[in-house]
This record gives sequence, structure tokens and C-alpha cells, in this order.
Amino acid sequence: MSSRTLPGLIGPETGAAVFGALRTVAERSFFAAAERCDEAAFDALAATVPAWLVSSVRFEEGESAGSMSCSLPDALAERLFHAFTGRDPSEAPPAWADVHDLVGEFANMVCGAWLSGSAGGRTFTLGQPGVVRARAAAAGGGLRLRVVIDDAPIAIALEMDAGRRAAKSGA
Amino acid sequence: MRILIADDSSMMREMIKRVVKLTEIPVDEILEAGNGAEALAILESTDVQLLLTDINMPVMSGAELLRTLAASDRWRGLTRVIISTDGSAARREEAAGLDVRCYLEKPFRPEVLRDVFQDVAGSNRT
Repeated sequence: MSSRTLPGLIGPETGAAVFGALRTVAERSFFAAAERCDEAAFDALAATVPAWLVSSVRFEEGESAGSMSCSLPDALAERLFHAFTGRDPSEAPPAWADVHDLVGEFANMVCGAWLSGSAGGRTFTLGQPGVVRARAAAAGGGLRLRVVIDDAPIAIALEMDAGRRAAKSGA
Repeated sequence: MRILIADDSSMMREMIKRVVKLTEIPVDEILEAGNGAEALAILESTDVQLLLTDINMPVMSGAELLRTLAASDRWRGLTRVIISTDGSAARREEAAGLDVRCYLEKPFRPEVLRDVFQDVAGSNRT
């Protein structure tokens, strides 16, 4: 299925809704505070990141479908891992498979929290998150959010599929 | 009490296990399943008192699992709790008809899950 951005259907209110979902996930499950970040500040932080973990999850809600990706540095992924599992950071480093699982669950929760607040009470389905390592954060062609958690950058990219009606996101 | 956690995220299962242990509620065993089919296989062979299940899982979803359980009297004594990112009103309404005791939406604070365990453990003792 081809994926094409529908710029007219992803507006500022969508960004606010997705950021709200991210902030809730960060606070409740990872005991971390998320703040929005302007492009220049984000780029300065991103320039210091040697490698990113990019987690993508597909969603379907009625006639709407698309994908959301979360890009974060390895070091932040490890910090979130310790916060989520309650493990002591002085313990042996976590297995990468576990960190990938955690980053996938992070994207799953952000996307689910956004859809739960935006889908007008309708059910939705989420695909299995896919996680890859990359030299740069996922850019996408749709909505892009730049966020900072614990002084580390996170980029959220949201794209809606062509040929489907976009999710209402103002809720 | 024997507990079954069905979630395709091993990290989510680990986090739930950690919260169970922190409650200090006597638990005989914590079993794990990566999807609804694995959970059903465990339930068919093992006496479990509390099921904690995700909704969005591969192979067999949590909703399919709960519909299967609700269709039989065999699991009448099983307490069912949903832990899911899907907090939609439609999904909650569906769960209400499937003998689900509690619907916990991800993300949640660990103390909320602790309260659910204590509530379930208290009612299982009475």
C-alpha cells in the first residue's frame, strides 16, 4: 500500500494531540518530562546523536490508516528502559532485543494514547511495532514533532495513507 | 493465586511482574503468554485465577481471547483484566459484555496497577 501525506488533514491541532499523548506516556510510564522543542534547538541536539532507534507502528481506525514513528537516541532508550522496568542503571546493560521491545512499546503507547483521544470513541487496531537503527531520525512527509526528554531529542513522524479519510484529531 | 499475563511486549510483561511483586500479595506463580492463542493454551491446561491481557496482539487478539473465554462456563471463576493502549469507548463497551472486571488503559502509573491487584486479591479471599 502506498503511503502519501495528506497535509491538509494533519494540522496544528494534530500536533497538539500527539504531543499530549507523548507527554502522558513519558510521565506515567517512564517518569520523564517531555517538552516541545524548536527546529534549531532540536537540530543542535540531534547533531550530537551518533545513532537513533526508530520505532514505527501502523494503525487503522475505521476508514483511516497510517503510521507513526518515534526516533530517539540509543542513550535515551536505555534510560527509558531503566525507568520503565525499575532496573538499577548500575546493573549490566540491557540486551538490545529488550531495548528494541521497549522502544516499540513506547511508540505503541504514544500512538494508542493519541488514537484513544482522537478517534471519536471508535476502536482501532495497531500493528506490531518495527524497530530499526538509523543514522538520522525519521523525517516522514507528514506531521513532524520535535520533542526533548531529559535533554535528549525525540522526533515523532505521523503519516496518513492516501485514499483514506484522515483521523479526526482535534479531540 | 496464579496469574497469567498476555502481552506481546516482553518488557510490559516484566513491568507488570515487578508491580505484582511490589504489592507483596501472595502469588503462587506468574505465567506469561505473547498472544491470545498462547494464553488460551495455558488456560486450558492450568488453573489460573487472574488473567491480565492486552488487546492488540498477533495471532490471536485479546478481544478474541476474551470472547472465547466468555463463550464457555469453564472459566467462570477467572478474573479478567484488560491492559491496553486502546482506551476507546467502543472497546470498553465491548469489554463490559465479556465479563471483564477492570479496564486499565496504557500508559498507567504503577500504583494504579497495584490497586487493581489488591482489589482482585481482596475479593478472591472473600
